[in-house]
Amino acid sequence: MVANSHAPAGGKGQATVVVDRISMRYRVPSTKAQPEEARGRIRMIKRVLGQTPMVSVQALNEMSLVVERGESVGIVGRNGSGKSTLMRLISGQSAPTSGAVFASSVPVMLGVNAALVPELSGDHNIVLGCLAMGMTRRQIADMFDSIVELSGLEGAIHLPMKSYSAGMASRLRFAIAASVNPEILLIDEALNTGDAQFRERSKSRMDELREKAGTVFLVSHSLETINELCSRVIWIDKGDLLMDGKPKEVTETYADFARNLSKGNGFSAAKLRDDARRNLIATKVLERSPGRRSA
Amino acid sequence: MAKIGSQPALPEPAAVQSMPIDTRGLIRVGARPAFVDYLIQLWDHREFIFYDAKARVQSGNRRDRLGSAWLVLNPVFNGLTFYFIFGVLLGTSRGIENFIGYLIIGVFIFQMSARAITNGARSIQGNRAVIQAFNFPRATLPIAVNVREILAGVPVILAMLVLILLFPPTEAVTPLWLLVIPALFLQTVFNLGVGLILARVISTINDVTHLLSFAMRAWMYGSGVFFSFDQFIENDTVLSIVQLNPLYVVLDIVRDCVLYATLPEWRSWAILSVWGLGVLAVGIVYFWRAEESYGCE
Repeated sequence: MVANSHAPAGGKGQATVVVDRISMRYRVPSTKAQPEEARGRIRMIKRVLGQTPMVSVQALNEMSLVVERGESVGIVGRNGSGKSTLMRLISGQSAPTSGAVFASSVPVMLGVNAALVPELSGDHNIVLGCLAMGMTRRQIADMFDSIVELSGLEGAIHLPMKSYSAGMASRLRFAIAASVNPEILLIDEALNTGDAQFRERSKSRMDELREKAGTVFLVSHSLETINELCSRVIWIDKGDLLMDGKPKEVTETYADFARNLSKGNGFSAAKLRDDARRNLIATKVLERSPGRRSA
Repeated sequence: MAKIGSQPALPEPAAVQSMPIDTRGLIRVGARPAFVDYLIQLWDHREFIFYDAKARVQSGNRRDRLGSAWLVLNPVFNGLTFYFIFGVLLGTSRGIENFIGYLIIGVFIFQMSARAITNGARSIQGNRAVIQAFNFPRATLPIAVNVREILAGVPVILAMLVLILLFPPTEAVTPLWLLVIPALFLQTVFNLGVGLILARVISTINDVTHLLSFAMRAWMYGSGVFFSFDQFIENDTVLSIVQLNPLYVVLDIVRDCVLYATLPEWRSWAILSVWGLGVLAVGIVYFWRAEESYGCE
């Protein structure tokens, strides 16, 4: 119980994000030779059709979290540990394989990947994106110049998006997403690919949003940033929740773990991981609403 | 559960704390709204629909040197091909009054449905990036496709009418020509319904896109675009079944109004309305039921 001093007593605070027993499994094609699991006709047919065998990848094992208004939650973990998957589930960009995420308002994710409508010009994409987020034409007109400024695209804003470099497209997408002031904000810095100038600009906008938002989730590879900005940190490894507590404690353990791994001390690293997990206070969500009691 | 790269099992957590949560006031993220709420959301996103439609009409043919002229040139070339093969060589034109006008209407109007249905069917698959980036009711995308086809279709229909006036025998412009508008409206409603159904199917079974072009071709032959059923089908029952085809009915109504100055039968309107509204109702409900799944690959 000591490590979890943040834990609210009996949910007195106002929960804004409730992650209830979610897990995520992807089915993806694999080029690796498969054990003879699907024998016979189906396997034959698949081979004739040139279908690569599918494998399941468990991205996130069952976990629950309750986050309250005013909390800034940092998420740390190695590459491929499930940080971005968790963020995608909380923001509703993917549906979990099992479980559900509840939120007090629509969570908005500030990621910076992928283009929008490649045939349309940057300015058309801005209007389209803002309309999709439910803004009115008047609000868009007010925000338009600041979006263009934040994206740093200047003249290129009138060119079709397919002519943009990856960095330009991601800057534009970030600028569009950052134009609303969400109550629940998710920031995936691990995806940030902008140049130094853009990083400076986007940081100030993120700070602004973070101050206004009631609840923030932050993924960053910089433990410094996490320590500075977050009031609570969770550590995920290979899809498992290992630690959930005060920023300094969690980031130090995680840094220790990463240092051991990079030095090749697999055994010490595994011990750190197991110890962290052994001290974890997991959460179980009980529904309290009348008539919808969970067993 | 077997995992890739198996590792020793993790120890169990020290304890599990129960947190009673009042889920009233919380919404499930990405949850499908109730049907009526969904319709309201669609209405609230009308500006998104129109903006998307308008922007894509403008950018649609930018790659071609002749740009939007292809909207008209395409059916013209189609019509020429059919004219030589069926009209001149095979002689399906016999017994059809004003065959050129008959053919022009068939090709132009059928093409509108073919484009709207094909594009509507691909609207989810082709817009994954936007779907994953923003939360909005997904049915706006197939609807926007149909609005776009209407916007692009206005000059095409005008070109069609001009062509009919250019080729002899010249038809007189009568007030009946105005009835083309409600016929095309019902056609669009029908296209949207089919597009919604196919969009959901294709979002999970992409293979259907390959079948779509064959299905549209078969449909075209079954709609009397360049021949008249009356000459080929003797059996009355078969004929009346063939004439239930909604696209055939649209062509029939437009030809009656524009070429033959006849008021279309009320039966034709009834068939077309039932098809249009029925398919739209089925389509929107069917599409809405999978609303949560469109963001997944």
